[in-house]
Amino acid sequence: MNANTKELFKKLQPLIALVVMVVTMSLLSDKFLTIANERNILLQISVNLCLSIGMTLIILTGGIDLSVGAMLGLAGAVAADLLKNGLVLKVFGVVLQFTPFGAMVAGILVGLALGWFNGIAITRFKLPPFVATLGMLSIARGLTMLWTGGFPVTDLGPKFGFIGAGFFLGVPMAVWISAALVVIFYFISKRTTLGRYIYAVGGSEKATAFSGINVNRVKIWVYALGGALAAVAGLIVTARLDAADPKAGLGYELDSIAAVVIGGTSLSGGRGSILGTVLGCLIIGVLNNGLFLLDVSPFWQQVVKGFVILAAVAADKLGARRE
Amino acid sequence: MNRRLIWLMGCVAGIFSCWLFPLFHVVTLKTATAEKAAATFNATLFAEMFWTNQLPTALEKTVTAQILLPAIQSDAAAAKKKFSRSLGLGEGYFYFLRGEGKIISVSDDELILTVTENSTNAEISLQTGLIFGNALRDGTGLLSANDYPNSQDFNDISAALNHIVETRVLPELREQAKVGAKISFVGCAEVGDEATDLKPLKVIPIQTEVQ
Repeated sequence: MNANTKELFKKLQPLIALVVMVVTMSLLSDKFLTIANERNILLQISVNLCLSIGMTLIILTGGIDLSVGAMLGLAGAVAADLLKNGLVLKVFGVVLQFTPFGAMVAGILVGLALGWFNGIAITRFKLPPFVATLGMLSIARGLTMLWTGGFPVTDLGPKFGFIGAGFFLGVPMAVWISAALVVIFYFISKRTTLGRYIYAVGGSEKATAFSGINVNRVKIWVYALGGALAAVAGLIVTARLDAADPKAGLGYELDSIAAVVIGGTSLSGGRGSILGTVLGCLIIGVLNNGLFLLDVSPFWQQVVKGFVILAAVAADKLGARRE
Repeated sequence: MNRRLIWLMGCVAGIFSCWLFPLFHVVTLKTATAEKAAATFNATLFAEMFWTNQLPTALEKTVTAQILLPAIQSDAAAAKKKFSRSLGLGEGYFYFLRGEGKIISVSDDELILTVTENSTNAEISLQTGLIFGNALRDGTGLLSANDYPNSQDFNDISAALNHIVETRVLPELREQAKVGAKISFVGCAEVGDEATDLKPLKVIPIQTEVQ
């Protein structure tokens, strides 16, 4: 096998894995290849896809974000609460009653701000991304509990619910939103200056800095975007449930990191793509769905998923060592 | 210059979007509180209206215990089909019944009655303790879960109706009930488990009269 074929095979690894899984699952379960089930898989992965797009950008710079699940929960809770109860400004004797659009914008701004804070902690205070985002995980979870008092915020109305439970042309809105984000961020990562900088920072931070690029600014942007995308995922979850659960997003960061790694993005940064992450999300979605259809115990499902992640990382490391 | 122009255009576009799709409306605290109170479902008030306006008109639609109990005894499935109501896919069902009987036992939580002629068996258990469940809400057939988008509101109605029975019907009943006294009643019975709920039939009283 020559170098070009090897490279092509490596790029196609996630796609081959997905095709093998789809063929296997469709042979084992007659319900797998139905339109309703395919729509169900797309709907189920849409939240993870939003998170994973941001996580891809972050991992491409050589970082990691453990706080996306917590940011998802906080953004959803803030949006839901502003929509339901408004923002009371007692000093002025007024209440800002948020529209569904306003509540969504506020939720995304919360995610953006938390992500920006992550970026500042990592670049200005030189904290390792693992530690900085672990701290943010705890902060965001605590703030969510404080904001909601530990109770779910329910009954948000059909207008807000449309983005999570509505359909457009027979396809769930959540799928449209995640697909639009894939297109936008694929374009950003491949066709814009920021995209090139992200790959450059992940490839070699020192070399990028020496070439006059403001590495810190790139990183702050990436973490802020990751936060904003986590907030979008939070809005979808909240709208779908018609409630903001203070515990929403618990453990979601692991699924999102898994999707990115399975999709071929290197944990050391500089290598990977948004399309690979889409395949990673699909693989996890098909795996979850298939194991469920085959009536495999949820405990075993976790074990299997863990092995798939280990296999993906091992393949990445082996490939890197050979290179 | 170019960058400044882009920022300026971005700001203008943002302001235009906010004008087109407002992010929020400013209302006074007083108006907002009043609006919220009006929009919040008041289960207590609803139950009160239901109790005084809707329920009395439905009392005529009850089946009499003298017909229902023999029917249950001879064929419980046929009696269920003919006289009961059920909600959703659950196994449980409800009877909305009236009857006259004789009190044969009194305790803190129930009055045991016989209702059929010459019977000495415990046939009806009128519940006089704390009231739980949805028999009052669902047994009459006047309220449907589909009319309430929020299931919490629907559950609150149940709690409010149970509270009305606990505070208005039961104190007087407990005071007047004596073994050997004759009693007429209207009430709802929820049958979750036929083995335990039918003999005697556990009825939550809505109206009672002890003679």
